Amino acid sequence: MIEFKAVSKTYPGSEKPVVNDLSFEVLDGEICVLVGPSGCGKTTSMRMINRLIEVTEGEILIDGDPNTAMSGTQLRRKIGYAIQQIGLFPHRTIADNIGTVPNLLGWDKSRIKTRVDELLDTVGLAPDDYRDRYPAELSGGQQQRVGVARALAADPPIMLMDEPFGAVDPITREGLQDEFLRIQQDIRKTIVFVTHDIDEAIKMGDKIAILKQGGVLAQYDTPANILAQPASEFVSSFVGGDRVLKRLSLTRVGEMDLEPANGDTDDLLRINEGLSVKDALSELIGSGYSRAVVEKDGDNRLLTFDAIEELMGGTSVEPSNGGGASA
Amino acid sequence: MSGQALLLLQDLTGGPEILDWEWLRENFWEDIVPAIQGHIFLSFISVAIALAIALPVGILSARFRKIYPPVTAVTGILYSIPSLALFSILISLPGVALGPTPVIVALVAYSLLILIRNTVAGLDSVPPETIDAARGMGLTNRQILFRVELPLALPIIVAGIRIATVTIIGIATIGAYINGGGLGKLIFDGINRQFPTMIIAGAVLATVLAILADLLLLGLERYLRPWARARRA
Amino acid sequence: MISNILAVFTRPGFLTLLREHIVLSAVALLVAIAIALPVALMIRNTRLGAAIAINIGNVGRAVPSLAILALLLPFLGIGFATALVALAALAIPPILINASTGLREVDKGVIDAARGMGLSGNQILTGIQLPIAAPVIFAGIRTSAVQTVASATLATFIGAGGLGDLIVEGLQRSGPEILLAGAFSVALLAIFTEILFGVLERAFTPKGLKIAQKRQGR
Repeated sequence: MIEFKAVSKTYPGSEKPVVNDLSFEVLDGEICVLVGPSGCGKTTSMRMINRLIEVTEGEILIDGDPNTAMSGTQLRRKIGYAIQQIGLFPHRTIADNIGTVPNLLGWDKSRIKTRVDELLDTVGLAPDDYRDRYPAELSGGQQQRVGVARALAADPPIMLMDEPFGAVDPITREGLQDEFLRIQQDIRKTIVFVTHDIDEAIKMGDKIAILKQGGVLAQYDTPANILAQPASEFVSSFVGGDRVLKRLSLTRVGEMDLEPANGDTDDLLRINEGLSVKDALSELIGSGYSRAVVEKDGDNRLLTFDAIEELMGGTSVEPSNGGGASA
Repeated sequence: MSGQALLLLQDLTGGPEILDWEWLRENFWEDIVPAIQGHIFLSFISVAIALAIALPVGILSARFRKIYPPVTAVTGILYSIPSLALFSILISLPGVALGPTPVIVALVAYSLLILIRNTVAGLDSVPPETIDAARGMGLTNRQILFRVELPLALPIIVAGIRIATVTIIGIATIGAYINGGGLGKLIFDGINRQFPTMIIAGAVLATVLAILADLLLLGLERYLRPWARARRA
Repeated sequence: MISNILAVFTRPGFLTLLREHIVLSAVALLVAIAIALPVALMIRNTRLGAAIAINIGNVGRAVPSLAILALLLPFLGIGFATALVALAALAIPPILINASTGLREVDKGVIDAARGMGLSGNQILTGIQLPIAAPVIFAGIRTSAVQTVASATLATFIGAGGLGDLIVEGLQRSGPEILLAGAFSVALLAIFTEILFGVLERAFTPKGLKIAQKRQGR
C-alpha cells in the first residue's frame, strides 16, 4: 500500500508548489492512475514515491513505513520503474537490460536467466530470438515491452509507470495496454501509472487521481464514479463532454442483463458480446434499428435502447435518427 | 640530434631579461607588420583556394555518394601527414622552390578534408521534406541547390571553414621554415638569433591571430543559426 | 634515389630518433589523458563546468603548435621536458572537448531509467555513461594522438630530438634523401597512429552501439 500524506513539493526559488498537499492511498494490487493536464504534478508525484524527487513537505508511506527509511538507491531496487522514453541501455543486450536489477540484488546467474526468459515470454517476445539482441535492433513497440519486462524483473511489489506506452502509435499502444492488463490480472502488482490521456486512465485504472494545475487533487475515485459523479467543473470538463458515453465503455455487452429474443432475429444486426456497450451503441445507431441480437451462453438476447437506458440508471440517450425504423 | 641548433639554443636560456620592448618599437613596421600581413595573406589565400576546390567536390560527393569514400581517404591521408613532412616532400619535387607557393599548396591540402566533410554533412542536414517541397513548387535542381540546400547547409559549412582557418593559421607558422614568410619567420629568426623577443612576439601574435579568427568565425556561425539564437533569447 | 632514402633508415641514429619521437608523443598523450579525463568526469554534471571546459578546449585548439613550443623556450629552456609540456598542453583540448560532450550527451532517458532502477551514481558512471561515451572519448584521443605525433616533429626546433631532426638536417645540408626519409617516416608514423587508434576506437565501442550506429547509416 502506498500512502501520500499531505505531500507538497516546491522547488527552491519558486513561489508556487508543483505538488500541493496531496493525500490519497493506493491499495495493494490496484492500478492507480495519476492523470491531469500539463503542469499538474503527476510525474513529480510519481517520482517522489521512489525518491527521484524528494518531498518538501509531508511524507509518503509504503506499507506503513516512510519511504525515507532506507537509502534512495535501495528503495528503487524494490520498485519497478518504466518511463516513456524507455531508456534501454543501448550497449547491453536485451537479456542484460532485463536482468539489471536482479543483478544488482545479487541473484545467481541461472536464476536471472530463467527469470529473463520467463519475462520475455510474458511480454510476448520469444526468448530465443530476443535474448541476445541489442535495443537498436528492436522496434519501438518491442522496446517498450522490454521496458516493462525490465521493470518486472526483480518481481517488485510496486511499480511506477510514466506514460510507458507513450512512445508508440495508437494501435500498438492499445495492444500493449491490453496485454499489460492481462498480465496484471495474474501478477496483481500495486501500480502507480501516469498518463495525460483520460481514456487511457479510464481503461487502465482501478482508481483514478485527477490532478489540477499546481498539483492539487481534484478527485480520487473509481473510473465509474468519476464519470457518473464528477466532483467539480474542472473534472467534468477534463473527462470530456462525452462522459456519459465513456461510462458505457466500462461495461461489456455480455455483462448486461438482457431479455431473450423471441421470434425472428434473422434481419437484425448481430453484436458480439465482447464489445463494449459504447461500441455496441454506436453500431446500433448506425444500423437504423432500435434493437440488435447478442448471443450469450448459447441464447439469443435482445439489445435495445431501453436496455442501455436502464444500464445508465435512467439517463436518456436519444438515438440520432429520431426514433428509428419500427421494430 | 641537430647539434647546431642545440648549441644555438643553449645560449638562449641564460640570456638577459626576456622582452626587449625597445626592439619591438623600433622594428614594428619593419619586421612585425610585414609578418602579420604575410601571415594573413597566406592564410586567406589558402582558405579561399581550398574552398574553391572543396565546395564543388563536396557538393558532388553529397550527390554521388560513391565518390565520397575515396575522396575522404585521399584527403584524410593528406591530413595525417605532419606539416613539416608535407612541406619537405613538396620542396623535394622538381621545380618547386622554397617560398610561399609550397606552403599554400600544403595548407590547401590540409584543409580539404574538413571542408569537404562539412560540406557533405551540411547538405545532408537539410531535411528531405524541404527539398521535396521546393521541387514540388517547381524549382530546378540548380535552384534548389543554391536557394535552399546551400543556405541551410551554411552553418555546418561555416563551422568547417572555422576549423580549417584556424588550422591553416597554425600551420602557416611552420611554413616560415621553408621561406613562406608570416609570423613563423619571427619565431625562427628569433631562434636563430637567440633573441627571445622575436620568438615571443611571433608566437603570441600567431596565437592571437588564430584565436581572433576562431572567435570571429564562431560569431558568424552562431549568427547563421537563428534557431540557436532564438533559444538563447 | 629510393635506395638512398632507404639507406637513411639503416643509419644507427635513426632508431634513436624514432624512439625519441614515439616516447615524446606517447608520454605527452598519456599526460594529457591523465589530466583531461578526470576533469571531464568531474564536470560532467554541471552545466557551467561543461561550458567552461568546452570553451577552454575550443580556444586551446586554435593555438598554433609551433607557437606554444616556441613560447615555452625562453622560459623553460630546451629539451625533452619543454617539448613534453607543450605537447601535453596541445593534446588536452580534443580529449577534454570530446570526453565532456560525450558524457553529457548520453541519452537522458537512459540515465533516468538507470537511476530509477536503483543504480548508484558510481554504477551509472562506470556501467552506463562511460561505456556509452567511450566511442566519442576515443575519437577525441585518436585526434589528439595524431595531432601530437605531428606536432612532435616540431620538437626538433627546441632541441628535443625526434624525427624532425632528419627533416631539418635534410634542409640544412641540402640532402634530399635525408629530407624525404624524415618526411616519409613521420608521415608513416602519423598514418600508423591514426590506424592504430582507429582500431582501438572500434575495439572500445560496445557492440550494441555499433549496431545502433549502423542503423543510423554511419
